[in-house]
Amino acid sequence: MAASAEAPPLRPAAGPVAPVPWSAGRVTSWLTTVDHKRIGILYIATSLVFFGAGGILALLIRTQLISPSADIFARDTYNQLFTMHGTTMIFLVVVPILAGFANYFVPLMIGARDMAFPRLNALSYWLFAFGGIVLYSSWFADGGAPRAGWTSYAPLSTYSQGSGQDLWILALHILTISSLAGAINFVVTIHNMRARGMRWTRLPLFVWTVEVYAGLLIVALPALSAGITLLLLDRKLDTSFFTPTGGGDPVLYQHVFWFFGHPEVYIMILPVFGMISEIIPVFSRKPIFGYKAIVFATVGIGFLSMVVWGHHMYTTGLPSFLLIWFMVASLIIAIPTGVKIFNWVATTWRGNILLATPMLFALGFIVVFTIGGLSGVFLAAYPFDWQVHDSYFVVAHLHYVLFGGSMLGIFAGLYYWWPKMFGRMLDERLGKAHFWLTFVGFNLAFFPQHLLGLLGMPRRVYSYRDDDLWTTYNLISTIGSYIMGLGMLVFVFNIMKTRRTGRRVGNDPWRADTLEWYTTSPPPPHNFDRVPYVSSARPLRDVRRRLEGKDA
Amino acid sequence: MRRKLPAVLVCLAGAALALSSGAAAGTGGLAPEDPVTPGAGDIEQIYFLLSVIGAVVLLFVVVPLATFVVRSRGRGRSREEEGPQVRGNTRLEIAWTLVPVVLVAIVIAFVVYKAPGIELSDQASARDTLSIDVEGRRYYWQYVYPNGVVGIDRLRVPAGQTVNLDLTAWEGDVIHSFWVPALGGKFDAVPGQTQDFTFRATKPGVYEGVCGEFCGIQHAAMTVEVEVMERDAFADWLEGEDEAQRGGDSDLGEQEWEGVCSKCHRLAGQGEPYIGPNLAATQLRNAESIEAIVRNGQGSMPPVGGGWSDRQMDALTTYLSEELAPRAEGGGGTDGG
Repeated sequence: MAASAEAPPLRPAAGPVAPVPWSAGRVTSWLTTVDHKRIGILYIATSLVFFGAGGILALLIRTQLISPSADIFARDTYNQLFTMHGTTMIFLVVVPILAGFANYFVPLMIGARDMAFPRLNALSYWLFAFGGIVLYSSWFADGGAPRAGWTSYAPLSTYSQGSGQDLWILALHILTISSLAGAINFVVTIHNMRARGMRWTRLPLFVWTVEVYAGLLIVALPALSAGITLLLLDRKLDTSFFTPTGGGDPVLYQHVFWFFGHPEVYIMILPVFGMISEIIPVFSRKPIFGYKAIVFATVGIGFLSMVVWGHHMYTTGLPSFLLIWFMVASLIIAIPTGVKIFNWVATTWRGNILLATPMLFALGFIVVFTIGGLSGVFLAAYPFDWQVHDSYFVVAHLHYVLFGGSMLGIFAGLYYWWPKMFGRMLDERLGKAHFWLTFVGFNLAFFPQHLLGLLGMPRRVYSYRDDDLWTTYNLISTIGSYIMGLGMLVFVFNIMKTRRTGRRVGNDPWRADTLEWYTTSPPPPHNFDRVPYVSSARPLRDVRRRLEGKDA
Repeated sequence: MRRKLPAVLVCLAGAALALSSGAAAGTGGLAPEDPVTPGAGDIEQIYFLLSVIGAVVLLFVVVPLATFVVRSRGRGRSREEEGPQVRGNTRLEIAWTLVPVVLVAIVIAFVVYKAPGIELSDQASARDTLSIDVEGRRYYWQYVYPNGVVGIDRLRVPAGQTVNLDLTAWEGDVIHSFWVPALGGKFDAVPGQTQDFTFRATKPGVYEGVCGEFCGIQHAAMTVEVEVMERDAFADWLEGEDEAQRGGDSDLGEQEWEGVCSKCHRLAGQGEPYIGPNLAATQLRNAESIEAIVRNGQGSMPPVGGGWSDRQMDALTTYLSEELAPRAEGGGGTDGG
């Protein structure tokens, strides 16, 4: 044996040709990947799976509300449904899918090879997947899933029996760490890894919004972690941070929660603003109108979002001067938001507009988000909020900004970047069917909810007043939700159909402006062979024009 | 145009539908419920102001957007053709920053001007104000009038007099919110804290509402009714009820069964168990055990009667044993729970 250790190996195959490592298999290579593009796809795919789950929960909720007292679900089950729906959509869909887009496209758009910390990046993703599994495992927990609403107000959540609430807290702790690590990664990447020449004034607007998104996450998430830790202590160790029996204050939980929760709202919409700011110019063949104004508006919104949390708490008995402060601050946000919307509209002026699916979703986004923003102005006026707070008016408002805003924008982004990610187009006809079903279904589902709120229907109820008008509006809303569900099926079908047969595309199918279109579709693992010097906010257009000999 | 048209038609049809149904039935949800207090009227005015501003802003977004998109669709145009490379326009941008500033200032000024009349905080403890203690409980509302009369779920107030509700939730309970749309606004009942809800109802009638803060399994059943009575009728009722409750022959026990117990329990022999177990005659007659469970809760039942006065407790146990026990069947509960 001693001799064989010194002798050359008997089988030459084990010699110079390296064995295929276990981690290079079809599945294992995805499990062990630290490539930002693969992690991005994992993020997006996982979020879409959770989107399906959350969507099914939504359809179940709407089915229960199809008539005033449909006994389809037990009350307790219904409470679990809407708690899980809200928690899923916010923590497992919108925030992580945006992280997925940012993962995939921030390095490409700034001409970098990868994120600054690839392994930390993988950790972020796996913590997210794990957090989602923990949350969904609560269906099988003692007492079932959490049932105190996605906001889990104390002391309702303090007294909530069973383990569901504890798993909710655990899942959110895990997701918080995931998002925090991801956010730090984005900030470091954006600050240090931009291509030569890419100054802050030449940064793609999507990257700008990711920068603010990441900054807000870093500021807001610790507050959530702290709040739910105290809640856990109240539940398990009989402390009373939020229960008055031991001298605690229930309203304190709301302050802590919304100090996180309102920036969270902008965390979920700012990167979508970024996507829209990329898509509208490309499909209009024009530069974005007012680049700097949009950047300042983004930063301004990010800053203001941290000082308006009290507008979720107008009914808790805040003193008048705070009511007025939170109203003024909230209304001021309408101004930079309006600037963005007007800039997008102006960008379409006299363009060469291509109404492809990404553009349709982007235009739908502008219309619906404007309505959602305006109903937000209503809610900022605190006496009116006293009337409709926690009613279906609020449900309508938040879905106009979160579904009509964030999700429509995310679909615009998916259709826009799909060819870059997979090298094939999604089917345009199915894409348009997807858009129209979603857009029409969405408005049918959520517009009547404004009216229900004004009529006096509170949110989070499994039954409602047996009244013709209430029943009609709820029925319309339920039908609308089914139409949206149908639209989502079309989307799934589109993905499956084009997986093998979709039209193959080159580097730059849309004649876009930013660097991700400079490389192949899909990009190679190292992203770029070389990155051009960036001399404007539209480096790819510069390259095209140089090639066409239009200017040097 | 052809592609934008369906959207426009759908929006128009939707708006027409909403408007026509609104015309058919009061406001139809296009405005808050008909207000019966000056404060609710002011809230409605704020709503109308915001609606006008909102509609104008929406038009200023949607009309140009639709026009631009329809006019500059690149049907058949080469994708190589670019639009005019306009990067901004300082005047235009200043305009669409300043106009919203003005609109926001108008909203703020109007709200701040109207707010004192809605809040009525200067009248909360005025001499002429009727002050009522309101406690939110899982899953009922309890009212204590100045003379000690207790009411459950249905609140009676005089018309034309300022009423101040001292809102709280019992210390071991969760947050509720007192919301009767016709009175204008909702205010949270937070355990361990009190806040004022001051209003002056002008029109007699019965107005319905419901708990406005998710409070658990029977949140949807936590309804509230406010009966606005003529002042004299209210005074008579309050005096009569006071006498009845002192004498132990009021309907307080029945109110408690209806408002507190029956939202979860049925009587034995009256169908499947509801949220809690059905109650049998022997259980209803056992005043001691009823009092212990009602005061302290049991299992997933919250301490619904924690903090009740003896008079309140007696009213319940008397009603249960004398009125309800004969209607319930035999020995143990149907499911023994």
